[in-house]
Amino acid sequence: MVRTSRNTSIVAIIAIIIALLAVGWITAGSIGNFGITVMSGLFQGMLLFLVASGLSIIFGLMDVLNFAQGAYFMIGAYVAYDVQHVGGVIDLTTTIPDPNIRFVFAVIAAIIVGAGLGVILERGLLRPLYARPVFQLVLTFGVSLVLAEIVQFIWTTTPYSWTETFGIRESFFTLFDQRFSTYRLFVIGMGVVLIVGIAALLRYTRIGIIIRAGVEDSGMVEALGINVRAIFTLVFTLGCAIAAFGGAVAAPFLGASSTIGTSFLLQGIAVVVLGGMGSYVGTAVGSVMVGLAIAVAQSAAIGTDFSALPSITPMLLLILVLLIRPSGLFGGNAR
Amino acid sequence: MSAILEIRDIHTFIGQFHILENVSVSVPKGSITVLLGRNGAGKTTTLKSIMGITPPASGSITFNGQSLVGKRPYTIAQLGVGYVPEHRAIFRELSVRENLLVAQRGSDDFERKADAVFELFPDLKRLYSLPGGNLSGGQQQMLAIARALIPDNHLLLIDEPSEGLAPVIIEQLMAAIEKLSAQATILLVEQNFRVASKLADRFVIIDDGQSPISGAMGELIGDEALIRRYLGVT
Amino acid sequence: MTPPRNSLMQTLRENWLPAAVMLFLILFPFIVGALTDSSPMGVARGDRMVMRGESVRWQSVLIEVFILGILAMSYNLIFGFTGVISFGHALFFGLGGYILGMFLEYTGMDTGLAMVLGVVVGVAAAGIVGLIVGFVSLRLRGVYFTIFTLAVAEMCYIFFSRWQVTNAEDGFTIGSLPAWLDPTQSRLNFYYIALALFAFTYLFIRRLVNSPTGAVFKAIRENEDRAQAVGFNTLNYKLISIALAGMLAASAGMLQVILNKKVGPEVLGVSYTVDPLLMTIIGGIGTFNGPILGSAGLHLLDVFFRDATITIGETSIQIANLWGLLLGSGFILVVIIFPLGIIGTWQRWRLKARGRIAKAARPDPSMNPKTEP
Repeated sequence: MVRTSRNTSIVAIIAIIIALLAVGWITAGSIGNFGITVMSGLFQGMLLFLVASGLSIIFGLMDVLNFAQGAYFMIGAYVAYDVQHVGGVIDLTTTIPDPNIRFVFAVIAAIIVGAGLGVILERGLLRPLYARPVFQLVLTFGVSLVLAEIVQFIWTTTPYSWTETFGIRESFFTLFDQRFSTYRLFVIGMGVVLIVGIAALLRYTRIGIIIRAGVEDSGMVEALGINVRAIFTLVFTLGCAIAAFGGAVAAPFLGASSTIGTSFLLQGIAVVVLGGMGSYVGTAVGSVMVGLAIAVAQSAAIGTDFSALPSITPMLLLILVLLIRPSGLFGGNAR
Repeated sequence: MSAILEIRDIHTFIGQFHILENVSVSVPKGSITVLLGRNGAGKTTTLKSIMGITPPASGSITFNGQSLVGKRPYTIAQLGVGYVPEHRAIFRELSVRENLLVAQRGSDDFERKADAVFELFPDLKRLYSLPGGNLSGGQQQMLAIARALIPDNHLLLIDEPSEGLAPVIIEQLMAAIEKLSAQATILLVEQNFRVASKLADRFVIIDDGQSPISGAMGELIGDEALIRRYLGVT
Repeated sequence: MTPPRNSLMQTLRENWLPAAVMLFLILFPFIVGALTDSSPMGVARGDRMVMRGESVRWQSVLIEVFILGILAMSYNLIFGFTGVISFGHALFFGLGGYILGMFLEYTGMDTGLAMVLGVVVGVAAAGIVGLIVGFVSLRLRGVYFTIFTLAVAEMCYIFFSRWQVTNAEDGFTIGSLPAWLDPTQSRLNFYYIALALFAFTYLFIRRLVNSPTGAVFKAIRENEDRAQAVGFNTLNYKLISIALAGMLAASAGMLQVILNKKVGPEVLGVSYTVDPLLMTIIGGIGTFNGPILGSAGLHLLDVFFRDATITIGETSIQIANLWGLLLGSGFILVVIIFPLGIIGTWQRWRLKARGRIAKAARPDPSMNPKTEP
């Protein structure tokens, strides 16, 4: 039973990816354009993974769907922008004149802020509510609104677009007569490293084994003598830190605005549901699929009236998958 | 014999429901004590109250001279209480080895105890790397008990180990539990009266959230009226 | 459990407040008119009435309170009474508004007929969308419904903010309205229509929740598995609750677009999800008066303080800029400290003062079947 349903999942995944690539190929017209589409899809897929992985593991372990995850992504983008550019709240432009090195600091600052806010949210706000899961959902939603308001208060409502140019963002390599951004490749590579790294952590370390056991039955883990709440805090903090990291590495391309949080949250949720709630493999596969789908839709929508297509693609894909498998691609038990 | 676990007059609520209304249980050190009673009488809740999973609203629970009331389940487990819940509750996606690793408290628990555990349950050694969900019911029960043996526990709470298992498997498990009682005190919940009467040396009857009668197992075996009244079996 | 009381006395005693409030709201335009020396009908200019003056202005404020109140009450029906959380209530609100607007402006039929058809189709469509979204997602864990509503609402928002037919982000204005309904011709008429719908929603939800169907809603909220075990098809009841709430929300959306005489994607925006959520929780979830208190309180605060500024030292901050932050922080505090909201906390406090809390916390065991979970 489990085997056969997993087989249909794999068939479905392969079919969908082939269909996406075929549409991408048709709309691209040239191998260079097709390459751009695939690269952009993988890039967006990796950014999505950075939001969705936290959502998925936190949901699996703690039964909390963290609607504030998108807000952490947004804050990561703002912090990175702020540190990188002149005239921010933290102005490092004179202390660290080299923009490449400063970018590293910007990313680290974003991770620290994300982790700090993650601890505050879990310890201070969610912990009193574990007995009332409905309120946790409502609370994370409320927190996402407050974080958006705080960001607008500090950095105003005008979206920032990344203006500073620095080495790695600007360099390109050429393939099939088409220029590809090295930075995108770099983000894709980093995403792959993270996917593999987190998988290894979950597979081989003691803490990873405890997390996987907790995803199944956190009460039993506690009854074996493990302080599960401490694990909750750790995982929640890591999830928020990874989302903030995602926002930081996305900022040079997408800039910083108060709306990117919501759009990445929605896409991230689509990924998590599509992959199967709480399934790590499902999240990784789902991220790549949704990323590719968005990129294909973007390339298909160029010059047509369907400019809304890329935005609604994740939801359309989600509905398609849920029609095939109601509990998602790798979801064992949806109830 | 001194009592390793002493429960006095506990009241436990689950939501609005008053499940335990005055339960007292005394478990002598080194004994196998069994909680008997009908379905829904409050046996499982008694074990969960000891573990702190459903903390009692009033009354006292003392283990090795320390009060357990108000402590979180993980602290209670760390004091040396092993819990084998009903329906096994093994981690189905984790391998047998990983199931045992989760239970480690000291970093060398697994290495120290693995041989003894595998001697008790040779099946588990064979199934070492298989996911728990692929095991048969009896093997899962063995794994659940083995998991409680990895750390140094002084008291094992075992909930309905024979539930849903074939007679041959039950015999194996009974033999294993009997061997265990040399190392740890055991508090057992068991519906199967034949199993209970063979294993246990003391009994406590839980009826309608209370604990009216307790004593040596031998006394109960002869008293058919009592058995029929509280257990509905003869 | 409670001793039987004189039913007439009880009805009067329990309903004096809604009755008094209703009377006040009916007289309100005239009271404000008398106090501020302005006509509730507006100012006559030639043979037309121009909608000016304090009374008319306050009618608009209250119409907005009614709209938000209907929206919050409908939200409370699913969230507070059935225990299902939607993050996409704006979907129903906006859908109602768009469908009515499109019937009035795009079909070219007689205004009165377009009005009637628009209302009927809009309300029905909201109910059907509620059923579909619920049917797809509610068989799974509750959180799937929450996700689905958020996703579908957001999709609709994006769709209508890009759809050229309805002028994308700009939306379209409603020019043709029946004269008796047009708030620019007679605000007072529209005030009473909105008030009537508001009162209807209140009575309808009270009646529904106190009916056997409502008892099942509450049973689902308390423990769905148990409701199912007792033999109720809980999915059907949840679907009924969502469809009805969606239809009420759609009618609120219709009032909104008539009041503004404009339809744009903002009626599908997340604020029409957040507002009823905040208003319900702050007022008191699962109570009849909570959503009304929440919507009236929050909207009036918004109206009073929107233009205020606070000055600390040399920097002065517009309250309008801080409004969302204050609202959100207040909301978080309420969720953590007073999860029952204003009405719920007050009720509990009153109960405690009367010494009944002891019984509520330790129910008579004979009343409850024993279960061993």
